[in-house]
Amino acid sequence: MPEALLEVEGLVKHFPGPSNILQRSSVVVRAVDGVSLSVDEGTTFALVGESGCGKTTIAKNVLLLERPTRGEIRFEGENIHQLKGRELREYKRSVQAVFQDPYSSLNPRMQVRDIIGEPLRVHERLGGRRLQTRVGELLENVGLNTVTGGFFPHQFSGGQRQRIAIARALALRPKLIVLDEPVSGLDVSIRAQILNLLVDLQEEFGLSYLLISHDLAIVEHMSHQVGVMYVGKMVELAQKDEMYSDTQHPYTKALLSAVPRPDPDIPMSITISGEVASPINPPTGCRFHPRCPDYQESAICREQDPEWREIAGQHWTACHKVDSKMDSAVHQ
Amino acid sequence: MTNSSAQQEKSVLLDVKDLQTHFFQRRGVLKAVDGVSFTVREGEAVGLVGESGSGKTMTCLSLMRLVPRPGSRIVGGEIWFRDQNLLELTDAEMREYRGHRIAMIMQDPQTSLNPVFTIGDQVMEPVKLHLKQRGAQALERVLEALRSVRIPGPEDRLRQYPHQFSGGMRQRVVAAMGLSTNPELLIADEPTTSLDVTIQAQFLDLIRGLQREHQTSVIWVTHDLGIVAQMCDRVNVMYAGRIVESGEVRKLYKEPQHPYTKALLESVPIMGNRRRRLYQIDGQPPDLRSIPTGCPFWPRCPSVMDICKEQYPPTTHTGGDDFVHCWLAEK
Repeated sequence: MPEALLEVEGLVKHFPGPSNILQRSSVVVRAVDGVSLSVDEGTTFALVGESGCGKTTIAKNVLLLERPTRGEIRFEGENIHQLKGRELREYKRSVQAVFQDPYSSLNPRMQVRDIIGEPLRVHERLGGRRLQTRVGELLENVGLNTVTGGFFPHQFSGGQRQRIAIARALALRPKLIVLDEPVSGLDVSIRAQILNLLVDLQEEFGLSYLLISHDLAIVEHMSHQVGVMYVGKMVELAQKDEMYSDTQHPYTKALLSAVPRPDPDIPMSITISGEVASPINPPTGCRFHPRCPDYQESAICREQDPEWREIAGQHWTACHKVDSKMDSAVHQ
Repeated sequence: MTNSSAQQEKSVLLDVKDLQTHFFQRRGVLKAVDGVSFTVREGEAVGLVGESGSGKTMTCLSLMRLVPRPGSRIVGGEIWFRDQNLLELTDAEMREYRGHRIAMIMQDPQTSLNPVFTIGDQVMEPVKLHLKQRGAQALERVLEALRSVRIPGPEDRLRQYPHQFSGGMRQRVVAAMGLSTNPELLIADEPTTSLDVTIQAQFLDLIRGLQREHQTSVIWVTHDLGIVAQMCDRVNVMYAGRIVESGEVRKLYKEPQHPYTKALLESVPIMGNRRRRLYQIDGQPPDLRSIPTGCPFWPRCPSVMDICKEQYPPTTHTGGDDFVHCWLAEK
């Protein structure tokens, strides 16, 4: 059984709503509303959901870019928002990020060797030849020629820039890398290169990934565990194989059926209508009920927040209509 | 999704022949569209697939004669729309086609709607301009268009501005504008890239329904092989400003002829298909200012031969309207 590296427990993050000069806002944006998950060592946990579901907010909390309103995040057992001094620096080294847009995440005025070398200079006080050797190694790790170290970001294509961003993330030998839509800005043929690289690096360095994506095919390809979010809540969480073969929550089912598959013989089906609800004023009860095909005017869905429960081994969901296999196993 | 023999009997609506659109820059000539030929039959949905810079958007802008000026120009070829070569029309004559018989939905609904006019005014514009309708008649037409794209409460939504619409709804408004004049050809340039999966599915379903109902021909521009598989009867695969392969969708997905098409299809992760490694095409698309001689794909091609580096492969017909440009197929 692999050890949990990162544990998020009951995370809540509320933001003040839109305000103006005269009036402070009284509305609250419930970006994340009680989410728990854990990333095991050496594995990939994927967070899936549509825009506004709170997946990036979770990543920002993990990266210490936001403080949670409630709940806690533990890394190797320690609450990350209480770390200080040496421990805090250690945490910052252990957790790195690769963002969606390699055009804005690299400083256009810095040479590639300085971009990749900066964390090494700051955290490890490396310099001179030792720094150059390490930067050279990192460039090789991500499949770039070492002579490119003297170039500037604009001299690279999108895919190569994403490799530079990955090299920078690898520089401090992190344990966890947060990947926020790492390939959605890239072309199809370049995506495969980057996805393969990420898989190789995970095996080589025993990395854990927290992958944020809206692309269910990429998630299936990359991850070990998957969590599906809808308007600030986790609606289903399972091992990847379970999630794709024994889907339980109607939202997950709808997401999977809505993907246009690259096969003319598997038609896409539309099982839900309507728009994603707003985190400012989420629907009562189950937040998915206005769009849910299984809702059928049942009062419980409209009025009660569904309980987050384990319905089979390592398979959680929050839905009133899903029968628990755990219970039936007990009855038998 | 009609079978190819039935499709063949339909007459050709659009016939593009050896289209060339170039950008003229200080550093040289950029061949964005470098000899593109394809046909669209009546009621047919045709996909233009390719990566960024492959020339798909410039091809569409050329069809509309909307290439950015100054800087780029259509330098050669013919665009036959029924019996008329669009490139021989005057600008005034072209306006009769653009937005009326040929409509286009652009990628970003944020920028294709004017923020200071109401939705009603904007959908009304093509109705007034092209259908010459006024007053209550025009209004009814606008409402009908908004209803056809399933915008709830169109009577109230008319008076609202684009910012009051969600991304998905905005894209429906753009579709309503395009379809309000009952065009014969609709060009959809990546209309769903900014939409969420479930919203995208609804939009695709909507357009497919309207297309079948009105027998509109559609050109789908996309990099998403899933959308093409779901929406198109035919696919044209573009690489470096050329169409390298064209085929009926089922046939092309089952038996791709061109190595680039094969590689593209194998490089996307497919749900339910667990491969730990994806097929990857090494390298990257060429710089369009210095396209390699011969076949532009040869530096990345796994089955490159000597002749590929010297001469561009001729058209090999592979049945029906299908063709491929590859020396492998030529043998």
